[in-house]
Amino acid sequence: MRWTTLFIAACWALAADASAWSATRAVTPPRAMPPHAALRDTSCVRCHAAQRSILSSRMATRAGEREFARRAFGRDGDAFFAQSCNGCHVRSCDDCHREGRMFVAKPADAACLKCHRGDNVGWDYHGRAAREDHERYQRGATADGQRVLKMVPDVHQQKGMACSACHDVHTLHEGRGRVKTCRECHPRPDARVAEHAITAHLDRMQCSSCHSAWASQEYGTFLVRPRTPEQREAFESLPSWGEWKKSGYLRLQDAPPLGLDSHGLVSPIRPRFLLFATDTKRGWENRPLAAEWRAFFPHTVRRGTVTCTGCHDAPRRFLLERDEDRRYRPDEDGLPLKSFWNTQGQTLVNGRFFPAERFQQMNRKTPQYVREHLKQWQGILRHVEGSSSR
Amino acid sequence: MDGTGGNVTGLLRNIGLRFAIAALVCAATASSLTGCRSHESGSSCLKCHAGLETASSTHSGCVPCHGGNERGTTAEAAHAGMFGAADPSYPARWERGCGSCHRDQLERMRGSQMFTNAGMVAQIQATWEGEAHGANFAAHSGATFRANGDTLTLRSVAELDHLSGELYRKFCARCHVGKQNDATDGSGHPAGCAACHFPFGPGATYEGRDRTMHGKAPHSATHTMQGLPPMSACVQCHHRSGRIALTFQGLNDGNNALVPTRDGGPGPLGGSDGRSFTHIAADAHFLAGMECIDCHTSREVMGDGYSSERMKGQLEVACEDCHGDGTKRPRFVTAVREHEPPLRESRQYGYPLQSGARVALTSRGRPFSNVFARDESVMVALKRSGRLLRSPVVTGSAEHRIAGHDRMACSTCHSRTVTQCYGCHTTYDRRESSWDFVKDQETPGLFTEHEDVRKLYPFPLAVDGAGHVAPMTPGCQTFVTEVREDGVVTRDDAVAVFRGKPQLRFAPFFGHNTGTKAIGCAECHGDPTFVGFGQHAVEAGRIRPTLLCEKNSEKPLDGFLAMDAKGVTSHAAIARDGGRPLLPRELVRFFAVNLCLDCHASASDPIYRKRLDSRALDDTLHRRLLGAGR
Repeated sequence: MRWTTLFIAACWALAADASAWSATRAVTPPRAMPPHAALRDTSCVRCHAAQRSILSSRMATRAGEREFARRAFGRDGDAFFAQSCNGCHVRSCDDCHREGRMFVAKPADAACLKCHRGDNVGWDYHGRAAREDHERYQRGATADGQRVLKMVPDVHQQKGMACSACHDVHTLHEGRGRVKTCRECHPRPDARVAEHAITAHLDRMQCSSCHSAWASQEYGTFLVRPRTPEQREAFESLPSWGEWKKSGYLRLQDAPPLGLDSHGLVSPIRPRFLLFATDTKRGWENRPLAAEWRAFFPHTVRRGTVTCTGCHDAPRRFLLERDEDRRYRPDEDGLPLKSFWNTQGQTLVNGRFFPAERFQQMNRKTPQYVREHLKQWQGILRHVEGSSSR
Repeated sequence: MDGTGGNVTGLLRNIGLRFAIAALVCAATASSLTGCRSHESGSSCLKCHAGLETASSTHSGCVPCHGGNERGTTAEAAHAGMFGAADPSYPARWERGCGSCHRDQLERMRGSQMFTNAGMVAQIQATWEGEAHGANFAAHSGATFRANGDTLTLRSVAELDHLSGELYRKFCARCHVGKQNDATDGSGHPAGCAACHFPFGPGATYEGRDRTMHGKAPHSATHTMQGLPPMSACVQCHHRSGRIALTFQGLNDGNNALVPTRDGGPGPLGGSDGRSFTHIAADAHFLAGMECIDCHTSREVMGDGYSSERMKGQLEVACEDCHGDGTKRPRFVTAVREHEPPLRESRQYGYPLQSGARVALTSRGRPFSNVFARDESVMVALKRSGRLLRSPVVTGSAEHRIAGHDRMACSTCHSRTVTQCYGCHTTYDRRESSWDFVKDQETPGLFTEHEDVRKLYPFPLAVDGAGHVAPMTPGCQTFVTEVREDGVVTRDDAVAVFRGKPQLRFAPFFGHNTGTKAIGCAECHGDPTFVGFGQHAVEAGRIRPTLLCEKNSEKPLDGFLAMDAKGVTSHAAIARDGGRPLLPRELVRFFAVNLCLDCHASASDPIYRKRLDSRALDDTLHRRLLGAGR
């Protein structure tokens, strides 16, 4: 059941940019959903009328993930949604504001992380990544009912900032879809930093492109519906999503690939989801259901970044990997993708993949690039030179 | 040269021993020549075992290998006195089985790592107990010879009264060539010579034409002897730990995802113990049609009569033997006499060498039997098919004469991937029991393993035991938890003391996933992951890990270096004598290349023929060029 709720949270993240889908891909419009259908308790909003909107917000209706379920499963989408995504949506004020027997005005992070865990943005802020699905990897500390892979937390979290520091009440309750941006607090990035000296970096990139140090990424999300005793036994060691068993083909926690978000800015992106399903009763074997990527903001901000060559001359980072450079060979495992890091056969639903010609352009060693690149390495070298191995 | 004896005394002993072995071989061969070759008329064996494959043209009788009475008229009478009904090569019987003719090979096997597993036991001891100097435990007790001819006494691992001994006996011993493994999941193998020369099939059942045996398990797949062991025989064991037999073929034992499914069941390729393998780029040699035996000589696999304490001491083949290095071409020697190993051994290959062939020498100066010179080319004959491949020689090429790269293992640049398993958390629980494969009994204590993450690329580099910069893999990052009979946890995720302090270990590792195209200069020099910082973010004055050790948030789980305001810290050992992470002055040289690469992008640029002058950027020319865009 752990994964049931996790997937709901995953779906949740999808909802963040639900509006962008219609622009990039023809989607059947969702049937009208009563906003308060699942609401258990409306007593609070009798007085707190202004907060009523939370109950029709995406956290409550989850239109985004419902749409994804429909896109992936067609007419079975609603059933899948009901079965596998029916645990994490906001049903009452209690969900966030009750701590034991107390009511709190400003929910602590723990309330957010009940849903925003696993691969979802939220856990990463606290330095937690989901582990591999197979039970061989399910070990170590547990948080929010799930095993944790220990990662470096977001620098803001380390400085004591809670989720609510950026995601304030207006964002959530009034559905104004806007949180504090990096530049509101950091209006003038330090110009002494080599990367900041490049105008295009500041003008055309989200800060997170460089400063999100890592991200949970799943390449190939497989759902298997065990129908026979043999299948049930064979897939027993995997987690459940409703009646399905779930397994990630490849999981990484490194610096995520980059694409263009809905504003046309360079942004981290990740698969969400490269979904396949096996259900022998339906005649499905690794049936491709979705090959969608999303631009997102991994809440793993660090002062540091990768080095220049982490992006420049790194085609894989922009999903421009050439056939001969492939290490993983999903096509040889029967998947309809030659590479996860090539745009072919994949869609970025809330933006677009980085254009190849722009990539070529950005690899030119302009005098400015050379100068700043030197500066970066001279800075690193100074520290290494000054060090003695201890 | 450490395998050929270090001093005069050793050399004399060495020669003496060789004579002794040669004499034994001659005696054994003379006494049993008829036995090996005859197929006595009137044999009753084939009355029941009709259709049984002839082992080979030189192994056609039943009794010489199996014993028994081939004139017996009932099964009982015919089988009386048999030794090793299914496998006359298993070590308790191999003196009378294969050893009666193949004394030389049997003696070599007795000292080889595949039989002693001494290196494996020593590694486990180091991981679980800290270093254990002077201990020589092996799968079997017995005496063998060191490289210098001294007697090496091996104690049985059954006497190693420590968790490390028990771990070997309950886990690792299954892959020991002296012990049959009955597994029917592809990892099963017979014991002794048959492990490689009469391997089990995937289900360990006999699939040959003898109806009385058909479908019975565990048995060799057929009764046809594999003089040249097929790759499947190597995979039976080498699909674990380093998993080189998998990566060589382009298979990844990754995260056990069990998907994509195959026929509704776990896929895409099933491995032993419920594991699943996916596809990655295969090794260039595999793609060229080569098998394990095309590189690995019989001396490497079966030993040369002398025992080394670690596997490395048994190896003799190096990339340079066929490809040369920056300055030296492969070396050759002319094989003239018919009993010289190249001519004798290649007689059973698809491409028998002729007298006068100029055969390549291994790194130990011993001849290959399938690599030879033809005009100016180095040719490799595939042992099974005889197909010839031309081996590209890199000598003299600009890329292979980069100053400083002469101390690098070829695999540093040419590995497509290197299998890395981070965080091996092993629990030993005395409340449960499990099978001891050496003592052949169930004993208290059960080991279970959990892991953190596996990676393939990038991979860390450090200095190996020979002073070369080489790829590293965790070896091992074992965290030990021990639970007593009463349920009390006496150790909880403990790290063993190594070189005086609790620390994790990395080990040099050749991943057997070679690519013809090298990793790019900037791809390596520009990424601190390659020198052991793990995945990271570079901050002002710091290289901060992002995947963290559970015990210490300042340390990477997937590396052995960190850099904070005070400088570079090394916090894991390279588990080889002399092995170590790069020193700060070496890191400076490694990173300083980034100052040149933007303008001098090609490895063939002459500036890389000599050590880089980092002050060159301050000269007039560079200042003018770099100032141009300001």
